[in-house]
Amino acid sequence: MRASFVFSEVLTGLRRNVTMTIAMILTTAVSLAMLGGGLLAVRTLDKMKANFMADVEVSVYLTDDISANDKACTQGLCQSLRQKLQGSAGVESVVFENRDQAYDRFKKIFESQPELVALTGPESLPASLHVKLKDPDRSEVIVKEYTGQPGVRKVDDQKKFLDRVFNAFNGARNLAFLAALIMAIAALLLIANTIQVSAFTRRTEVGIMRLVGATRWYTQLPFLLEAVVAGVVGAVLGVVFLVAVKATFLDSIFTGEVLPKITMLEVLFPVAPILLAVSVVISAITGYVTLRLYVRH
Amino acid sequence: MIRLEEVSKVYKTSTRPALERVSVDIDKGEFVFLIGPSGSGKSTFLRLLLREEVPSKGRVMVSNFDVAKLARRRVPRLRQTIGCVFQDFRLLANKTVAENVAFALEVIGKPKQTIRKVVPEVLELVGLDGKADRLPNELSGGEQQRVAIARAFVNRPLVLLADEPTGNLDPDTSQDIMLLLERINRTGTTVLMATHDHSIVDSMRRRVVELQLGRVIRDDARGVYGIGR
Repeated sequence: MRASFVFSEVLTGLRRNVTMTIAMILTTAVSLAMLGGGLLAVRTLDKMKANFMADVEVSVYLTDDISANDKACTQGLCQSLRQKLQGSAGVESVVFENRDQAYDRFKKIFESQPELVALTGPESLPASLHVKLKDPDRSEVIVKEYTGQPGVRKVDDQKKFLDRVFNAFNGARNLAFLAALIMAIAALLLIANTIQVSAFTRRTEVGIMRLVGATRWYTQLPFLLEAVVAGVVGAVLGVVFLVAVKATFLDSIFTGEVLPKITMLEVLFPVAPILLAVSVVISAITGYVTLRLYVRH
Repeated sequence: MIRLEEVSKVYKTSTRPALERVSVDIDKGEFVFLIGPSGSGKSTFLRLLLREEVPSKGRVMVSNFDVAKLARRRVPRLRQTIGCVFQDFRLLANKTVAENVAFALEVIGKPKQTIRKVVPEVLELVGLDGKADRLPNELSGGEQQRVAIARAFVNRPLVLLADEPTGNLDPDTSQDIMLLLERINRTGTTVLMATHDHSIVDSMRRRVVELQLGRVIRDDARGVYGIGR
């Protein structure tokens, strides 16, 4: 196999239909960037879950009666609730927060809205038991068991709220994957088409090659490599695009305070190699199948 | 060198067989004309030897290759022992004379040094030394056919197949091409030439195999094109 021969064939092939080559590279790049975005979303979601789930609590809000009269959870109803919660399987800790503490926290949260703080007195806030679970996924049981119990006003599961946030992220991730898939189909068809055009414009060469006894590698490798080279260039562009989006846009949202930071390292590894591998494998397979179907040997 | 045993070929789209029970035996170093009207099966005959087609029945031998039974991946080996020349030259317009000839060696993986050595030699043999750097469209028809012959012969094939090589050429040029094919034949290469050209067949006095409607109707050791026609 003469590498120089094959490579000069690949270059002439790509140059000969430049517009198709560019279209092929761009669709591949966009498709891979979408896929990369989806992969980053998956990683970010995992990190977020790990971060937040550890702090997730179930809040058991107590009735006004208890809130008003039992400042330290020492009286009958509150104490028995607390003990029962502490004794439940899967509960890590129970912290009591009385009305005044709740009001302090409220003031802190709404510091910037003094009118709201002025309008709200401690009496409108309930005392509560904050229950931390060993496995936040099993909060359902606690919520069911304590809702409607005497002394309990309502049970709130923070996980419910987080789930909604995660669902939004999952939706965005799925959208990215869907877009990646659609673009991938476009890229695939373009690759197949480019190879066919390429094979057609070079049919005389290929005919001569076959006649003088060139092996299939010699006649078809240039076409295959054309697809793979376009795939590699597309993957590199896709990664560049991802890095650009990260630097200009994502970094200002994923600051690491609420949403975890996306590091450059993550984009370059493992996302970039995955994109490259996917691109090379898919373009090579597409090329091979196209040659098998459309180009006689 | 070439042997067809009771070879029949039926194309799917045709009712009549293209070749019917054709048996021909051609020795090493022979010069054979394959004649007959259009549709008589000449092209099919040549295509069978190249394994562009497989026979429906019978056996095709070229050198030591049992062509019909040849594994796909061995087909290139068979084709490397056969040189081919066509009526329409089939040169690559964007390559020079020397590049066109070198191409045939490049694509079968011959080393650069070999190519640099043998290309000028074969160009000299076909009488094109000094025109190595011309492009095909700067050459006359006869010269273009010489390039095609050089390309077919550069790998020293055992067999040279020529399909109407003079079909696009005037009589004088055709004579030159025939002299060249004779010279190649004298190096020991078996030459099989399909043609319509009466005067060439008559003047060469070589073996003539005539096909008609897919059958061999004549096989003369020193034939002419058509007696009593």
